[in-house]
Amino acid sequence: MSIDRRSLQILANHCGAAADAMAFTLMRTAHSAFVKETEDFSCTLLTAEGLAFASPRTFGAPWYSGIDYGPVIRMIDSYEEGDICVTNDPYSGMVATHTPDLHIWKPVFHDGKIICFVGGHIHNTDIGGAVPASLSRTLTEIEQEGIRIPPLKLVRGGRMNEDVLRILRLNVRAPEQNWGDLKAQIASVTVGERKIHEIIARFGAETFRDGMQAMLDYAEDQARAVVRSIPNGEYFFSDFADEDGEGGVPCRVALTLRVQDETVELDYTGSDPQVAASLNMPTGGHARHPLVLVGLTYVLFTLNTDLLMNAGTLRVARVVAPEGTVVNAVAPAAVGMRSLTCMLTQIVTFGAFSLAMPDRIPATSPGGNAIMNVRTAGWGGRPVMASIGPVGGGGGGTPASDGPNGAGGAQAFLKNTPLEITEAEGPILFRRYGLWPDTGGAGRYRGGLAAVMEFQVFSPDTVVTARNRNRSVFASWGVRGGRAGSTSRFLRNPDTPKEISLGNTDLLRCEPGDVVRVIGPGAGGYGDPFTRDPAAVASDVRRGFVSADAARELYGVVLRDGAADIAATTALRAARGPAPAAAHFDFGDARRAFEAVWSAPRYDALTRMLAAQPVNWRHYLKRRFFAAVAAGEAAEHDLETQMARIGASLLGAATDAGGARP
Amino acid sequence: MSWRVGVDVGGSFTDFAALHEADGRLVTLKVFSRPDAPGAEIEQGLTLLREHHGVAPERVATFTHGTTVGINTVIQRNGVKLALLTTQGFEDVLEMARLKIPQIHNLYSRRPDPLVPRDRVFGIEERIRADGRVLTKVSRESVQAAHAALRAAGAEAVVISLLHAWRSDAHEREVEAMLAEIDPGLPVFRSGGIWPIIREYERSITACISGYVQPRVSSYLASFEATLARLGVPAAPRITKSNGGVMGVAQARAECVQMILSGTASGVIGAGFIARRCGFPRLLTLDIGGTSADLAVLTDGEAGYGTGEVIGDFQIFIPSVSVTSIGQGGGSIAWVDEHGVLKVGPRSAGSLPGPACYGRGGTEPTVTDAAAACGLIGHSDLGYSAVRLDVAAARAAVGRLAERLGAGIEETASGILELSVSAMYADASGLISRFGLDARAFRLLAFGGAGPMLACFLARELNMAGVIVPPAPGVLSALGGLVADLRNDFIRTVYAGLDPGVERTLQDALVTMRRDAVTWLVEEQGFRGEPAIAVSAEMRYGGQSFEVEAPIDPRWIEAGDLAALREAFHAEHERIYGHADRSAAVQIVTLRLVITGETPKPALPRIADAGAEARPCSVIEVHMDGVRQPVPLYAREDLRGGHRFAGPAIVAQPDCTTCVPGGFDIAVDDHGNLIITPEGARA
Repeated sequence: MSIDRRSLQILANHCGAAADAMAFTLMRTAHSAFVKETEDFSCTLLTAEGLAFASPRTFGAPWYSGIDYGPVIRMIDSYEEGDICVTNDPYSGMVATHTPDLHIWKPVFHDGKIICFVGGHIHNTDIGGAVPASLSRTLTEIEQEGIRIPPLKLVRGGRMNEDVLRILRLNVRAPEQNWGDLKAQIASVTVGERKIHEIIARFGAETFRDGMQAMLDYAEDQARAVVRSIPNGEYFFSDFADEDGEGGVPCRVALTLRVQDETVELDYTGSDPQVAASLNMPTGGHARHPLVLVGLTYVLFTLNTDLLMNAGTLRVARVVAPEGTVVNAVAPAAVGMRSLTCMLTQIVTFGAFSLAMPDRIPATSPGGNAIMNVRTAGWGGRPVMASIGPVGGGGGGTPASDGPNGAGGAQAFLKNTPLEITEAEGPILFRRYGLWPDTGGAGRYRGGLAAVMEFQVFSPDTVVTARNRNRSVFASWGVRGGRAGSTSRFLRNPDTPKEISLGNTDLLRCEPGDVVRVIGPGAGGYGDPFTRDPAAVASDVRRGFVSADAARELYGVVLRDGAADIAATTALRAARGPAPAAAHFDFGDARRAFEAVWSAPRYDALTRMLAAQPVNWRHYLKRRFFAAVAAGEAAEHDLETQMARIGASLLGAATDAGGARP
Repeated sequence: MSWRVGVDVGGSFTDFAALHEADGRLVTLKVFSRPDAPGAEIEQGLTLLREHHGVAPERVATFTHGTTVGINTVIQRNGVKLALLTTQGFEDVLEMARLKIPQIHNLYSRRPDPLVPRDRVFGIEERIRADGRVLTKVSRESVQAAHAALRAAGAEAVVISLLHAWRSDAHEREVEAMLAEIDPGLPVFRSGGIWPIIREYERSITACISGYVQPRVSSYLASFEATLARLGVPAAPRITKSNGGVMGVAQARAECVQMILSGTASGVIGAGFIARRCGFPRLLTLDIGGTSADLAVLTDGEAGYGTGEVIGDFQIFIPSVSVTSIGQGGGSIAWVDEHGVLKVGPRSAGSLPGPACYGRGGTEPTVTDAAAACGLIGHSDLGYSAVRLDVAAARAAVGRLAERLGAGIEETASGILELSVSAMYADASGLISRFGLDARAFRLLAFGGAGPMLACFLARELNMAGVIVPPAPGVLSALGGLVADLRNDFIRTVYAGLDPGVERTLQDALVTMRRDAVTWLVEEQGFRGEPAIAVSAEMRYGGQSFEVEAPIDPRWIEAGDLAALREAFHAEHERIYGHADRSAAVQIVTLRLVITGETPKPALPRIADAGAEARPCSVIEVHMDGVRQPVPLYAREDLRGGHRFAGPAIVAQPDCTTCVPGGFDIAVDDHGNLIITPEGARA
């Protein structure tokens, strides 16, 4: 049977089922919570060249559907039947993107030749290194992030390489768990291999071989059709992480999106140099690295929810990610928290596509979804480590509906932890969990409200971490008249004389009795709030999502007895006059103030000068530039001259020291 | 001379099974369901039973009934206007749910609107801690304020779901008492009373669904009882439950949540009955109807149980017979995308308008239409003239797709069937991997209106040992109701380390549950036999967030033998996941008890020995496996025990059609089951 378009979906169903079977095997036999609860894993069928052509259909991490294992596959000289290879090194082939992700791949032979590979990864809870769980924003070198296994054969012709295991076990904090997870991965690829043989028996080797390509081609055609519907043009968008490290300055990710007929180019030139913190993304500048194309995958799927997602999907795209930047870091940059930066690449992708298709792309979800953990002592002094759930924002307003509250958009793949379970596990008492009013950006379609979590702790030396926090400075933007959402907050002892606002920090040491409140960032709205249905505003007020004051000020809606007073509302809205010509985006006050200084031309000048410097100097110089500008150095000159002067003085000193290029 | 009658109201059809208690004769029929006039289908069916089979209503000794009225109320969102009272500070529990959105790659994806909108959720000033101690007493003022507000908001009933009601429902009872004082007419539901599990969202949504459907289900049951009385049925009806058992109408009206998935559960119970009687140890059951396709695992006739079954937009967390959806059934619509790729679903023609060939206004080609266009079905009337297949309409609908594909009608129809089987294969294979089953050791027991039509094709993809088609596959849910036992679940959430000191808690819980269970069975259900009690515990390793349910011997609890409990957990964990850590701490989350009062079971009739070869009634031209071929058509009623014939073959009967492709042998056993086995395998 030759594979044609009419019957392609049948083969696709069988391949999806094979990937599902791998995932179920993994979930059934893995030991760690990352697999069973947060589903931070992938299982993939790969062509003989290493391109992903099928993934589990409903679970697993959503970032890897288009992965290319080619670079690591080619790092092994030759394969024989029964081989299994692994790596977790972010800098070998750039398939693993931080050290806890252990990737595995296995060749599948038919008639003595490799017909395809099966592979996947698990996020190990700990892989050794400077801190438990191996991840911290404060780490600066990859060597601090745990043991690294270069691409190698863990199993050669069916025989386990025990030496590798012995080294691994000696270097991690919970070796039994890693070993349990690794066994689950081996079981998973073994099932995958068997399933491939079943598919070959069912469809024939020729059909299967053609079919793999046909599935990639089909996904490519679907993606091309979507891209064809997007107006040609060049669209620039940038956004910022609040900090480029502990106590740092903002970190910029910039994107120029070029849509040309059926293809897109994502050019990240203008993104900040790699940082001395673990926020860097190891992509190797690969033209289709999945990590810098997550946002594109979301956009394409959103525009066609029937999309078959595989490496073919990404063929419409080409990425430019300049070396030495946060989107293409070079060794030894730390990369553990690259998810925060990856979220920014998604956000700038959504922003650029919003410029291209304002009618079809929602405002973004904010990013900065804080992963809350509490380390405290139980009633009998026993240590308690509680993962108490994500606290983030909602989804952005869309062209047709409000953003979902509490979690939405590209950031709603995590489940929360039931409060009752956390309280039953140890001395943590929740005082509030829900939505915080007036956090969603106003709009014709409102942004989703942010979540709030407030709890009390009772032991000395309790440590609260809020990994991934962001948006405490820069708000999540609104679109086409929709307003930005509110910023995130992290408070100790709120509403008391002892209240302390913790800014953008992600770590807090508490005393007994301390109350901690975390409020996520709200998502931006879509469209002019003065055109929002007054009944929807009244309903929001009744539901406690929007205050009466905000209804009046932001939406121009007057309420009487819980309902909208239509006559008064019409009058109030008319008093504003014709709708102001809104900018495409509302970025909120903090970014407006920041960009009044750090305008696009200033950033261009900075990027140009830093790009000419050695990688290891760039982050240092960037911070010096920020300090100089803040101190008003050479402020009497125009922008270009001022930047050139600052550059000359900084680089002069650096060159004298023998580091920077003159 | 009395009859047992089971009736199952499904989305598309209402199925009737009547069993003659003396001679074991089983008669069946199907009529269209009447969501517009619930109860009308009961009357129509009983009338037809009398006319065609002489089943006189006054001779009906037992009457069991399953209905989708509860689940439809949730799907159509037309339940009562509810209010929800929560602990102050946690009013957004339904808004937040478990956060995750349904389609994680779709930027427009949203969680479904909550069943109770936020403006009818009110916080109560009170707080109980995880260990059951009171931190803040119930504030009467806050209850009064909440009451005034919920009435002002127009709520007609209220659900109380306070934090840690799994540990202590004292505050929920206190609030309930206060409300009864203030507003005696207000219906009140308590989360701790409905199903006291730990996890605030899961307990709250279960209680809300129960409250939401209650008035509609209750009034339906009242009119159902009135219909039976009017028709002169003397038996007190029993209602089938999601847990595969039955209960009296009084309990059903009070605890509507118990019957919400009774239709799917009854089918599996009917299949289990046949499996036990006929000795099939390992089965997957395949139930394909007009709007659903479900798979379940039966081991020695025993169904698996689970929680978290899907009801419309939500999950419900009471114990239910565990089924896995593998598609939308015969009503799934086929289409062609802009790249010329043929697709089936996820859109469905549903029960209305349904497939084009049902002639009820459907025009889009469905899986059922594809089968009709291939000539596989339509060889006997469905349900006694109530439903006739319009093959021309099916061909026209499929023809429009064929034109787009540039292919023939039959070729396109075959493609639709093959594709829909491959989609079911994909989901079924997920279930098989999830439970770590070896499909080659299992047979597929097919039922539902479209199960036998597709079962052989699915079994072939899954490499299964064969297919079994029971005598009345189209009405197995109705039969399941006939043979179901009285059954009720009890739970105590313990949530404690399985360490010395916990023995007393477990003993107290066991004593209370046993007492409640016996009261239910003997006093409320009037059971006069020996109750069967099964105890199990949900346990987990400390720090894990999911539990494993292990059967336990109550004597271990009585004797305080924690080691035995721990070992039961390790062994079950090892069985499911392939590993156990016997040095790790074990937590016990819940203690569960199931009480069963066995109802008398009918003997399945044995049918006469064949004595002669099976004779087809005709040879028809059909399109099967992509090839046009002559295929013998057998009438099911002509088949006798000992008959053997080879595929390809089609076996037609009033409630469904069995399609057997080439490569399978068919044998009829002496209960009338079709035992279909791949050629060359041992039958």
